[in-house]
Amino acid sequence: MPHGTRGAFFIFVGFAKKHKNICRESCSALKIFTSSLFLRAVVAAALLCVAPGMAHSRAEQTPSAPPAKDSFRTVQDETGRSVRIPVPVRRVVSLAPSMTESIYALGMDDLLVGDTDYCDYPADAVKKHKVGGAINPSLEEIASLKPDVVLVTKGLNRLETVQALDRLGIAAYATDPHTVDEIRSSVHRLADVLGNPAAGEALDSELLQKETSLHERLQNSTPKRALFIVWTDPLISVGKRTFIADALMLAGAVSIVESSQDWPQMSLEEMVRLQPEVLVFASGHSEAVTRDMEALAKRPGWNDLDAVKYRRFAVISDAVNRPAPRLLSAVEDLARQLHPDAFAGRTGTGKAAGPAEKN
Amino acid sequence: MRPLTLSRLLLQCVILGAILFCVMVLALKFGAVHVSLYGLGRDLLRVFLGKSTEISSEYSLILNIRLPRILLGVLVGASLSVAGTSFQALLRNPLADPYVLGVSNGAAVGAILALLLEPHLALTPEIASVFTPLGGFLGAAIAITAVYFLGRREGRIDSSTLLLGGVITASLLSAIIILLLTTMPSSNVRGMAYWLMGELSAVPSRPLGWVLRLGFLAAAAVIYTTASDLNLLLSGEKEAMHLGVDVRRVRLIVYIAASALTGLAVAMSGSIGYVGLLVPHVMRMIFGSDHRILIPASAFGGAIVLVMADTLARTVAAPAELPVGAITAIAGAPLFIYLLRRKLA
Amino acid sequence: MTATARSTSSRNTMDATRAATEPRLSVEQVSYAYSPNPQQAPIFTLEATSFHAKAGEVTAILGPNASGKSTLLQIISGALHPLSGRVLLNGFVTHDLEPRARGQRIAMVQQESQLLFPSKAWEFVMQGRHPYGRSLRFETDDDVLIAKNALAQVGAEHLSDRWMDQISGGEKQRVILARALAQQPLLLLLDEPTLHLDIGAQVDLLETLRRLAVENRYTVVIVTHELNLVGEYADQVVLLQRGKCLRVGAPASVYQRDLLEQVFQTQLTVELGSTGRPRVSILPGSGS
Repeated sequence: MPHGTRGAFFIFVGFAKKHKNICRESCSALKIFTSSLFLRAVVAAALLCVAPGMAHSRAEQTPSAPPAKDSFRTVQDETGRSVRIPVPVRRVVSLAPSMTESIYALGMDDLLVGDTDYCDYPADAVKKHKVGGAINPSLEEIASLKPDVVLVTKGLNRLETVQALDRLGIAAYATDPHTVDEIRSSVHRLADVLGNPAAGEALDSELLQKETSLHERLQNSTPKRALFIVWTDPLISVGKRTFIADALMLAGAVSIVESSQDWPQMSLEEMVRLQPEVLVFASGHSEAVTRDMEALAKRPGWNDLDAVKYRRFAVISDAVNRPAPRLLSAVEDLARQLHPDAFAGRTGTGKAAGPAEKN
Repeated sequence: MRPLTLSRLLLQCVILGAILFCVMVLALKFGAVHVSLYGLGRDLLRVFLGKSTEISSEYSLILNIRLPRILLGVLVGASLSVAGTSFQALLRNPLADPYVLGVSNGAAVGAILALLLEPHLALTPEIASVFTPLGGFLGAAIAITAVYFLGRREGRIDSSTLLLGGVITASLLSAIIILLLTTMPSSNVRGMAYWLMGELSAVPSRPLGWVLRLGFLAAAAVIYTTASDLNLLLSGEKEAMHLGVDVRRVRLIVYIAASALTGLAVAMSGSIGYVGLLVPHVMRMIFGSDHRILIPASAFGGAIVLVMADTLARTVAAPAELPVGAITAIAGAPLFIYLLRRKLA
Repeated sequence: MTATARSTSSRNTMDATRAATEPRLSVEQVSYAYSPNPQQAPIFTLEATSFHAKAGEVTAILGPNASGKSTLLQIISGALHPLSGRVLLNGFVTHDLEPRARGQRIAMVQQESQLLFPSKAWEFVMQGRHPYGRSLRFETDDDVLIAKNALAQVGAEHLSDRWMDQISGGEKQRVILARALAQQPLLLLLDEPTLHLDIGAQVDLLETLRRLAVENRYTVVIVTHELNLVGEYADQVVLLQRGKCLRVGAPASVYQRDLLEQVFQTQLTVELGSTGRPRVSILPGSGS
């Protein structure tokens, strides 16, 4: 056994032996003895609880900082926290697929040393060192990668994870975009934070151009009243304050759901009363959605929705679920499906940064 | 005739303590990151000797992340087991445990409400750090009081009625938890739902850690002073009263202390089931139902079990971490069925 | 002096100031009323009852079912507060005593609740030592000796290592009695101890009780409806019917035919047996 454990074991045994001797000696004074022994046992237990804690707290004072980082700067993240980031940033861990995508979009993926099990886009991201899920990552894995900063999002990651990272002295930078514009500026700011403002500028203007051209095309089209379906049983949609709702607006649709919750559960009757013009699904498999629609059409309640009866639905890629630059391609795709006349007779605009559109 | 003596008690505690120590060392070894025990021991010794700066960075990582988690597991496991032992003795029912009686859910509701309230109250940092555990404790106390009153018949505790009251309270509180989760601001929901399944990665900050350790010691010590009384209570409340047990006082003390233990445990680590139910049973099979040995044995046993479960939670699906409550349930339910059948056989 | 001996002797010193000729137990005008609902009229009452008992005496509280016998016993034990009146044991009011002090003086033998977890007979008897010494303590050698002694006195030494759920009803009764003896009480109370025993075991028990009362100077009060056992073994009888105490006295004076017929609602005859004690026989076919 290593030194440390052996020593502790002997202390244990010695303590017990000491008390056994006293026990045999003072049988007649058992009453007094019991009380003081009890006290001693409680004190011993207290020491046992305290000692590891003391050892641990002494270790805590050891900075586990990476070597030779001299300068830091303080930035404010999107939840208002002050984050102390080393300069320059060399190693980044991403705890959200959207952050991973953003880093790749910025072309800064050589900084990425670890990401989550769910970071699957682009294909390269799959090859990075995995640290677990977004909700339940392994702190040890993250710490062993010695990141300069860990990227999190308020919508996906947990406060407990951020607090744990704080306690370990690892910088955690959080984003919290609620609109498409905020996604764009968030990625721009991320590039600044990571030390490459130029990349941010470039991506920002590219995304802005896409946005503006979409605005132009659709300025004469009436927005379609849409219901974005996250789940059918129960019926879950997106709230007013989400970036998905904002993305829908950019695509020439408006979500009929008026809720301040992020993922509100809606009543089917209410949706029937509102009669959306079109249903929007985010899925990688449009054939599956078509099949689901057929199944929905046979169900009472659902069949009262005109959009179901007349099969008025659009399927876009699930990129819309992540607040990352790729979202815009999905938005563009949706716009084409909802307002084909606005796109008739024109070629595609600009370079698409996302996968080939499925339709 | 071999009555329990102090030396036998201490010897058994030492043995259990040694087992716990070994389990903790093994838990330090296993995990997502590779650890060598020799290097770890060497670094631990250095820390004890005050030469903290010479620790290699890998081991400071282990000491900063894994060790606090293991220590929290020890504390929570011991708390839940001692609470379970107390409830089983007091309610004269081997199925009693903080989870079944709804006390765990009460603590969870209290903790969630405290979490919801906290941003709206201007609290000093010291109070803020104990606010959630305090909420947990109050929630547990309210739940156990409700269950107690539900379980009375003709002014006396009726064990099966009490258990029924506990199950009803547990499901009511469960519904309240779900209601809170679905109406809370969404950003907290996922985290809260995960936490409710029981996990040990939310290690408390230093001042809170002290509160917990001292709270556990105080509550466990208080319960231990009633150990002989609990032995007699097993024969029945009336019989115990005639044998000199102040039943009302013992009941009050043990209820409060066991609720405190449960409240603290749940506030720190969510709802971990089966530990408070099964560890006392197994310890009783090994050590008998004399509470003077059963209470410390349950404490050690609970600590051992939870540290092992947490180690599994950290390694089975590495690098992702499973909620430890899921592990205890998956392992605990079959064990419970087995014990039940053995008893009936 | 060991802790246990010290506490016993201190108790004895306090109580020894009351001379042996004075009655040890005084039940003075004790009454009780029970209503399940505060607004409702009481559904059961025990009217003012008094009697005295000396050390070494066996007193029987006799009566048909629902006559208030067990209630009276619970009041004597201090577990129930009487509505009026009081119970004195060597001058101490029993229900004012602290639980531990009460446990050192009064031992109750009653139908045992189901034992939750199995225990051995000696462990069970050791519970009787609980009122002595501090709450959190380990049993001393004295305790072990006293427990062994108690088992010997009831003739159950051979059951010492057996599990309580594996011995017969009669044997269990003896172990429960041993636990009461281990308390070294002044007052030994028994609530229907002969209910599940066969006639041989019943006689055995009463013989033991009488012997122990004399040897150890206990005051024994036993609740029962067994007429002939009471007639043979009791020094004093308290006759109850429907919460009313009809007579107190030696069996010979209480066992009057018309009185017994009125109480037990059946025809019977009373004769004097060879031991000089009254014996009751039922007349068949005369029940009402």
